[in-house]
Amino acid sequence: MQTTLHPFAPHLTGRPAKDLPISTLKVPAGFHVEVWIDGVPEARSLALGDKGTVFVSNRNLSNVYAIVDKNGKREVKTILKGMNTPNGVAFLKGTLYVAERNRITAYAGIEDRLDNPPEARVVVDNLDPDKAPGHFWKFLAAGPDGKLYFNIGSPQNITMPNYTQASITRVDPKTGTLETYVQGVRNTTGFDWHPQTKQLWFGEHQRDWLSDDTPEDKLNVATKMGQNFGFPYCHQGDLLDPVYGKNRSCAEFTPPALKIGAHTAPMGMRFYTGNMFPAAYKNNIFLARHGSWNRSIKQGYDVIRVVVDAKGKAKSEPFLTGFLTDEKGDPPMWGRPADVLVMKDGALLVSDDYNGIIYRISYKK
Amino acid sequence: MTGSLAARRSAVAMFAAALSLLALAHMQAAFADAETGRRKAETCVACHGPGGNSKNPAVPTLSGQPQQFIVTQLFMFREGKRKDAQMSPFAANLSNADLNDLAAYFSAQPHAPPAQVTAPEKAAAGRRIAEQHNCVACHAGNLMGQQHIPRLAGQQAEYLRTQLRGFKASTRFDMDGNMTSAAQALTDADIDILADYLAGLGAP
Repeated sequence: MQTTLHPFAPHLTGRPAKDLPISTLKVPAGFHVEVWIDGVPEARSLALGDKGTVFVSNRNLSNVYAIVDKNGKREVKTILKGMNTPNGVAFLKGTLYVAERNRITAYAGIEDRLDNPPEARVVVDNLDPDKAPGHFWKFLAAGPDGKLYFNIGSPQNITMPNYTQASITRVDPKTGTLETYVQGVRNTTGFDWHPQTKQLWFGEHQRDWLSDDTPEDKLNVATKMGQNFGFPYCHQGDLLDPVYGKNRSCAEFTPPALKIGAHTAPMGMRFYTGNMFPAAYKNNIFLARHGSWNRSIKQGYDVIRVVVDAKGKAKSEPFLTGFLTDEKGDPPMWGRPADVLVMKDGALLVSDDYNGIIYRISYKK
Repeated sequence: MTGSLAARRSAVAMFAAALSLLALAHMQAAFADAETGRRKAETCVACHGPGGNSKNPAVPTLSGQPQQFIVTQLFMFREGKRKDAQMSPFAANLSNADLNDLAAYFSAQPHAPPAQVTAPEKAAAGRRIAEQHNCVACHAGNLMGQQHIPRLAGQQAEYLRTQLRGFKASTRFDMDGNMTSAAQALTDADIDILADYLAGLGAP
């Protein structure tokens, strides 16, 4: 039988929140979810400036936005234009960094001049010499070592990557020196460092077209540089690829900390370091799942809470749900979580690139 | 609560509900309005034909295309990601509201039966290629399109040929790379056969 599974695409002009069933979103008791802002087309990765500016990226468009909140009145400013897939944004020591598909650029002191941004300083270029279709968009985050980390995805669903691909790579923002940090990562579009162990945790999208239930997408932890997470040989930590896995063993590779469901598409994730939510949430992970397309019964389309215990063992539970309305529908959802961001007041922002909306989740006893 | 008070309250509630329905209808009209789109489309129909039913084999038919597909393509033309000497200048100055209104209009227009008559043996060959490459996975049953993915049934042949060649050469804008990947497996002869088959394909 021929498949009818296909990827979904965002509404590129965004959709007004007032036309959407926002009130059907669900969060645990005591929490409250509301629209923080709409009209931010394809709102994807989020980064927080020292002075409270929220920087917003997108994957298919060419702009980077800054949202300024003055006493609850929010304004969207287009600060950078004409960029090539500016999917990654990170803020470090007063400087905004943007990862396009081919390069990373820096904008020093940007929060003081949002209406007149500085010229780009190129940190590193030529990151996409092949210009081929595939997982070419880059997530970007600043590590505790002051370096910028980003993904170089596998060029196709399942293929033998070249030396730079299927990796998390890091670059020194001062010198532009690149290092491969970990390998065997098919594609990651979200990561963060544990506030105490300083270890890198990252979601990983696993291959398509094997089956509805395998392989499961992964939440990984890199305990040291140079680890290999298995792609294209071993998926979900324990499943050899029918072609590339021949004559290999999953024991060669670092297994995931947690399996998080087949095709659920882990996107942005952050450790919760705020003070608004109950104490049990401290240092938990919030992870946005963009939702499955390569699965006949859809799943994901939510934000999950992952609790990591003292031994590093992880378990997850739903946190924000309600976007998925018909698991057999086409489309099955009305929104797709893409990234999360812990605000200074402890509230959690969630971006929805399908609609160009950012939600705010708060807690009151 | 007395009966009359309850009645008055329910009347107020109904009035409020009616008001909010009106408000909702108004808001949706503000987001995407086909009637506004019809007025804005007066320039478009010079090339794309009345109601978006093109008579020119090189110009795509827009009638009956999924709304999200039309918005997406206009958006990419405006942003300069998809380029065409004729089309790009028209898209350059469109607002988001224009895109949504035009898409609401054209997607609601009836798609005229295809002018192209494809010989049965050619059509059968085209159907085999379409099945082999699983076009229906994205373009939906009967290749009628859905969401951001275009209707192919009854589209203009020369236009389809140009797009498929562009995908194969990696020069046609492609949001997620799916068509670029899919087109790599097509020969030039396949593209010709497919274009003719699709152009002659009516609605089910």
